[in-house]
Amino acid sequence: MRLGLVIDLDTCVGCHACATACKEWNASSPVSGPLSDYEPFGAEPSGVWFNRVRHYELGEYPASKTINFPMSCMHCADADCVTVCPTGASYKRDDGIVLVDQDKCMGCNLCAWACPYGARELDTASGTMKKCTLCVDRINDELLPPEERQPACVLACPTHGRFFGDFDDPASEVSRLTAERGGFGLMPELGYAPVNQYLPPREPKTVIAASDVKALLERGLASLASPVIRR
Amino acid sequence: MKPSLSIIFFTVSSGAGLGLLALLALGDLLDQALPSDALMQGIAVALALVAAGLASSVLHLAKPANAWRAFSRFRTSWLSREAVFAACLFPVALAYGVLAWTAEGGALRALAALGVALLAWAVLVSTAMIYASLKPIRQWYSAWTPVNYLLLGHWSGAVLLLGLARAHAAHERSFGWLAGVLGVAALIAKIGQWRAITAGARDAPTLERAIGVPKYPNEYSNKYANKYANEGAQPPGMTMARARLFDVGHSHGTFLTDEFGFVLARRNAVALRIAALSAGFGVPAAWIASGATNAAVAWLAAIVCLAGLLAERWLFFAEAQHTVRLYHGAPRT
Repeated sequence: MRLGLVIDLDTCVGCHACATACKEWNASSPVSGPLSDYEPFGAEPSGVWFNRVRHYELGEYPASKTINFPMSCMHCADADCVTVCPTGASYKRDDGIVLVDQDKCMGCNLCAWACPYGARELDTASGTMKKCTLCVDRINDELLPPEERQPACVLACPTHGRFFGDFDDPASEVSRLTAERGGFGLMPELGYAPVNQYLPPREPKTVIAASDVKALLERGLASLASPVIRR
Repeated sequence: MKPSLSIIFFTVSSGAGLGLLALLALGDLLDQALPSDALMQGIAVALALVAAGLASSVLHLAKPANAWRAFSRFRTSWLSREAVFAACLFPVALAYGVLAWTAEGGALRALAALGVALLAWAVLVSTAMIYASLKPIRQWYSAWTPVNYLLLGHWSGAVLLLGLARAHAAHERSFGWLAGVLGVAALIAKIGQWRAITAGARDAPTLERAIGVPKYPNEYSNKYANKYANEGAQPPGMTMARARLFDVGHSHGTFLTDEFGFVLARRNAVALRIAALSAGFGVPAAWIASGATNAAVAWLAAIVCLAGLLAERWLFFAEAQHTVRLYHGAPRT
């Protein structure tokens, strides 16, 4: 088994619902304890999150595109965060989920240094490392209705841009989507074999022809012409 | 990377102590042993440096109560190996010290000396490999890292050893040459590492690679679109687009920005490199060349050397750029 997420960069609108749903569910997680907040009502609120959404701009205005980019643990097949751990607190389950045993962690930060994606955050209140559990306390909970046995982030996504499943099963939705849409893992050159896959933005739809673009440009309407060029 | 003072002190202090221990033991094996009292002093200073370093490293832990568990993953973790080797080093070094104190000769003392040298090297290499095995930090993920840790530890250890030798008027010439050779080798390694970091900037990971832009469809009209359309040519597509951080998604600092966000001003980097070279190498080299036998001057030279290496180690952290910085908007590492 190789459990993980597919994240659709085409439909993600960057609303942070996945991140806040994650924070809400895992705040009382039996797996990793509370996600501490520091000065939550102070001047500079901060805290531990498993999932963070960042926003990037590609190209330059007017021919630019915004990419919303949620990132959490990739549950790498070859996870250096596990091998560098000196205490055995970090471990990988048979189903592929990477977890931290909060009772064993000594808070040395080495796993966070070994993770290229910033998936691990030290909780300075507990002195231990915290990370995405893939909602292991949801996906295996047989008291939940089957359709709710998914990570909180997947259930919360309002644009249906997140999918959960087993990448070792070629018939699963995540495997199918990855194959169909050209899904990719982040920074494969580092050799961690990240399991989570990102679906690139879809090709833009043809709205006007390139010849019309030229006409629009001649009329000084570059902003109308820019995002819709197609060969 | 955030220059963490506890780790900087640990690696410099332990490095010097381990270098001194290895050289003392090797000198013994190669028939260049210091007199008994000098050897005892040397072992005491070396073990004090290593112990102070290890104590400092515990300060880095967020939950030191679990530190004892660090002995449990010897097979995979360099940090665990470092802990195990360091724990083994102390009894062996103490046994060697007792044998040296009783002026015992023979095979047992040689065996203890060999054990001290091998364990000192094992700790030094393990410490270095903690950093050299981290793929997300290109400045560390290199053979230069263990070479530097080994040579800088032995260089500072050799300065201490020469101080002892001169104070006791024993083997001054051979240890003087040893210190000189190690100093030149360490200097070459340090400058080589700095040059490799600069040269590696060409192939450094970029923000575009980090978020997979080359995997995006080629149909997207990027910044050249209008120009290309005007010329009747095809735009190069989204795969070629430059990316920039639009919004980082958090309002204040996080663990990630605190740990990986440190930015070193170029001006400070140059000043610190000059300080590291002049204090870490220049001052002790002048002392070696001067032939001064005064114990106070020897201590001063050693302390200035260690201060220079502290600046060097601070730079080792400050100049290291983790790939997490890319996701926070750095164009390259």
